Amino acid sequence: MENMLTIRVIADVWERHLMTMRTIEHLHMFSIALMLSIMIGVSVGVFIYMRPKTADPVLNFLNIVETIPDLALIVLLLPILKLGAGPTIAACVLYSILPVARNTYTGLKGVDEQYTYVAHAIGLSPREALFKVRIPMSLPLIAGGIRIALVFCMGVVTLGGLVAAGGLGTVLQNGIQLYQKDAILVAGIWTGLLAVILDGFAGIIEKKLHERYGTW
Amino acid sequence: MQTERLFERIDSIHLEGITKKYGHGFAVKDLDLEIQGGELLILIGPSGSGKTTALRMINRMIEQDAGTVTINGINTKDADPVRLRRNMGYVIQNIGLFPHMTIGENIGLVPKLEGWDKERIKERVRTLLEFVSLPPDMFMDRYPRQLSGGQQQRVGLARAMAMDPPLFLMDEPFGALDPILRKQLQKEFLKIKNEINRTIVFVTHDIEEALVLGDRIAIMNQGELVQVGPPEELIFNPANELVADIVDTQRKFKHMDTLKVKDLMSPFDEKYVLEGRTETCDAVDVMTERDLETAFVFEGERLIGQVTMVELMKCRTRSQKLSDVARPVKIFQPTDSVAFALSEMKSTGEYLAIVMNSNDPIGILISDEVLLKLI
Repeated sequence: MENMLTIRVIADVWERHLMTMRTIEHLHMFSIALMLSIMIGVSVGVFIYMRPKTADPVLNFLNIVETIPDLALIVLLLPILKLGAGPTIAACVLYSILPVARNTYTGLKGVDEQYTYVAHAIGLSPREALFKVRIPMSLPLIAGGIRIALVFCMGVVTLGGLVAAGGLGTVLQNGIQLYQKDAILVAGIWTGLLAVILDGFAGIIEKKLHERYGTW
Repeated sequence: MQTERLFERIDSIHLEGITKKYGHGFAVKDLDLEIQGGELLILIGPSGSGKTTALRMINRMIEQDAGTVTINGINTKDADPVRLRRNMGYVIQNIGLFPHMTIGENIGLVPKLEGWDKERIKERVRTLLEFVSLPPDMFMDRYPRQLSGGQQQRVGLARAMAMDPPLFLMDEPFGALDPILRKQLQKEFLKIKNEINRTIVFVTHDIEEALVLGDRIAIMNQGELVQVGPPEELIFNPANELVADIVDTQRKFKHMDTLKVKDLMSPFDEKYVLEGRTETCDAVDVMTERDLETAFVFEGERLIGQVTMVELMKCRTRSQKLSDVARPVKIFQPTDSVAFALSEMKSTGEYLAIVMNSNDPIGILISDEVLLKLI
């Protein structure tokens, strides 16, 4: 069983491919991408909610972006953003805006009219009603969107290895080019594990939000 | 955002030529109405009569198509709606407490937006909860879904009072509650009303409620004002058939002597029964769950008395049993005369009595309700 993953093999691969550094790079890109996605996605969701006429065109456009294969999108962004983390982060954000924006929009629309009515009737301005009532009450759905974005981002960040973005994708890429099965396995499993852990974490937060803010 | 108060007290509110179109018809048509400072004015009428629309035009939740609303001479059109609404307490039937905020946060929301500091808000919330008979320590940190309908409505009232507004707008606030709970809250509300001495515009479709609470009653029909005046005037000088019908004047010819308790009692329900060995703290939960303000305590088949939510929430010592705290309750036979029952109840100041057929509880007699059925 020469290919078996012993602790030794893992430690060896980990050291040779600088996987601590790669993991940090990976999570660094990932967190920047996710933060941007949340900020832009929530803003877009609120915007199309406030201007309902824009909702369909914007969501349709984001749907089209979604259909571009991820690798193609990264390559398309290369001439604009050059090599490095830029195109990868941009691709992550472009993919993740849709789930976040769509869930924000659906969440805001789904808030029972009676609460908005009461909010206005007791003297909240439209802005206060949005921030104190509608957005908090949509948090469980927004969190659901963010969770989808999180999984998207994990996948796209890994692809970044192909365009010299760094991160764990680089280890996989090297493993493939040098035909090192151990490296491919270790990096692959580790990347998958990270995604599962982060998703699980997001799932817990989502559940907490549901208990706290959910009314259904 | 801190807003300056538009008015400290209400001298008068004038609705002049108010019209609101609704499709091809009118929700409110050319309505003239004066509300005097300090009075409780009831708006009543069949559904679709425009009473709620009229109410909502006072705080600009609905904008009129024609006519003006002036408060102390200020045209509401010239006032900032947010400022206007923060100067009015608003209570509606479905209450609309925000489910993601605790009771304390719900009540303190507008004060917080007005920039009050934490301590002041907390102090205010405590005062208000005390005022509506909900012990603050027990309720401040609960969420609305953990409260019974009656408790939620009290919180709704407390929220409306948060900014100490000189004017209250109430849209069928007790409409969703069961009759006995409604009576209890009306009774408390009357007490509160007398204490705070504010101007109140109150929409209802329940004439009994209108007669109990209203200083003046405005009867509306198909978007128009039919008659406005104190309850006696409507009863003795109804402007037309509709008014007579609504206040049901024929009833005053009924002879009290010929009526029996069983004719006017409300049916008994198992939910009013609590066991004598139940601990008071547990009883509060049970009553919350069953949405009761008053319950009757039995030991097996034997009736030992009554307990009310407000009393139970005061006695906080564990191990106290309901049988220790139950107060005596008046018992009547279904064949007793109503006149006798009422004078008995009046002598002790009770407003609730139980009707027993030998040993079985079969009904509940509520004094206000009986009187109103007799009018």
